[in-house]
Amino acid sequence: MTNQYRSVFDIIGPIMIGPSSSHTAGAVAIGHVANRLFHAPIKKVIVRYYESFAQTHQGHGTDYAIISGVLGFDPADQRVPMAVDLARRQGIEVEFIEDPGDSPVNHPNTAELTLINSQKSLTIWGCSIGGGTIEIRKVDLNGIIFQPDGPLPIIFVESDQEIGTALDHIFKDNYRGARISVRVPGRFLYKLELLDKPYPEQVEQVRGMSKDMIVL
Amino acid sequence: MYTKIHELVQTAQERQLPISELIIEQEIQMSHSSREIIWATMGKNLDVMLAAEEKGVTGEGVQSATGITGGEAVLMKRYREKGQSLSGDIMLEAVQNAIATNEVNASMGIICATPTAGSAGTLPGILSVITKQLSLDRDAQIRFLFCASAFGMVVANDAMIAGATGGCQAEVGSASAMGAAAAVEAAGGTPQQSSEAFAMAMSNLLGLVCDPVAGLVEVPCVKRNVIGSVNALTSADMALAGLVSKIPADEVISAMKSIGENLPSTLRETGLGGLAATPTGIALKMQIFGQDMSIDK
Repeated sequence: MTNQYRSVFDIIGPIMIGPSSSHTAGAVAIGHVANRLFHAPIKKVIVRYYESFAQTHQGHGTDYAIISGVLGFDPADQRVPMAVDLARRQGIEVEFIEDPGDSPVNHPNTAELTLINSQKSLTIWGCSIGGGTIEIRKVDLNGIIFQPDGPLPIIFVESDQEIGTALDHIFKDNYRGARISVRVPGRFLYKLELLDKPYPEQVEQVRGMSKDMIVL
Repeated sequence: MYTKIHELVQTAQERQLPISELIIEQEIQMSHSSREIIWATMGKNLDVMLAAEEKGVTGEGVQSATGITGGEAVLMKRYREKGQSLSGDIMLEAVQNAIATNEVNASMGIICATPTAGSAGTLPGILSVITKQLSLDRDAQIRFLFCASAFGMVVANDAMIAGATGGCQAEVGSASAMGAAAAVEAAGGTPQQSSEAFAMAMSNLLGLVCDPVAGLVEVPCVKRNVIGSVNALTSADMALAGLVSKIPADEVISAMKSIGENLPSTLRETGLGGLAATPTGIALKMQIFGQDMSIDK
């Protein structure tokens, strides 16, 4: 739980549409993670809020913020306040739920965000820890569950080859915790948590082995 | 990575470098970007801050969607024009800019979070004053933001900067302390004096709760940024005058964290306690959201 903030721009920044860095900019960031992990047309979005998010999402624009992220907007995009309408106009069903219970991942600003289409589903549990910085504490990708420590960067790589050892070789000096590998029929899925942003060369090396790499 | 204020101060003393320079080095190392890109990015943040201050006092100013904040930066500007203030015009420069920035934030305008959106007015309030008093050029203003971020990163990692986890002391309190430290550096004070200013500024705002009316970043957030800015400037002056905090900065941060953890959740950005729970606070909430607080529209 130490050193979640690693850049001066986590402190001075982000540039954003108000009013709340935790509840607006952080929510955009959580939506953005879901957008990048799902990377497919979306049929339905379900947002379940806990604790402070559940109490104040309405006044802080959290609804449109999180949907902005799902649509891939950045926090200073002028379309942010209109995102819920824009999503519905694109035919995406959007539902918000205020859960009266405690956060299942132990943070007052927690959003559980589910994206669904006819082929797949994704749920992420995102925490907005302050100043627009977020953590992802749980991911359910088609029933495969990952429970990262939380701080980004988190990397997901999918490959038809077993490339775990090669990934260890590329990132070993930058690992935060263990690499998780999951075997799905015909594919291998890897989750890595890094201490720092990967170097461009490292990203290139992974792309040489797999086109399916998402750096969160 | 610098994880304590005393590490920043000690390294700055040993290497005879300003704290702003140490954090720029760290950013280059951690982000794998160039100095030029990092500097330009901070410059963009500065531009957004200046634009928000301007927007907040242009014409009749801005209004939030709820109507409970807005237009008061303009009132302050007009008051200043009369030249008969009690606290002196330069202090009211900070007041005006802190209010203007947070009114723009509440009106869903574009701001730069420093470190949060709720506390976005504190640093601009401080910076506008020292820019005038010290005739700072653009580069010196950018350097001020780097120095502030160095102190802010220690607080964010060692304690918290979210109202939901630590109360307003973690937002406006942190912003004020960061700004006090950076103002000292901009004025030519020593790294140790920055640390003293930081410690005094944060000590003065310990215990400040986050009790926003209707859960909105409006009341009392807009005006709490004023106290953040003014407290930072006076703390910086105290440090430059040689006054010291008996409790070292890192211990003040620990105290802030412990107080934050002990605050009940009603006083941590839930809009359920403090000013939010007053009869008028509740009436405003009813007026804004009506009876039905559910989201389905």
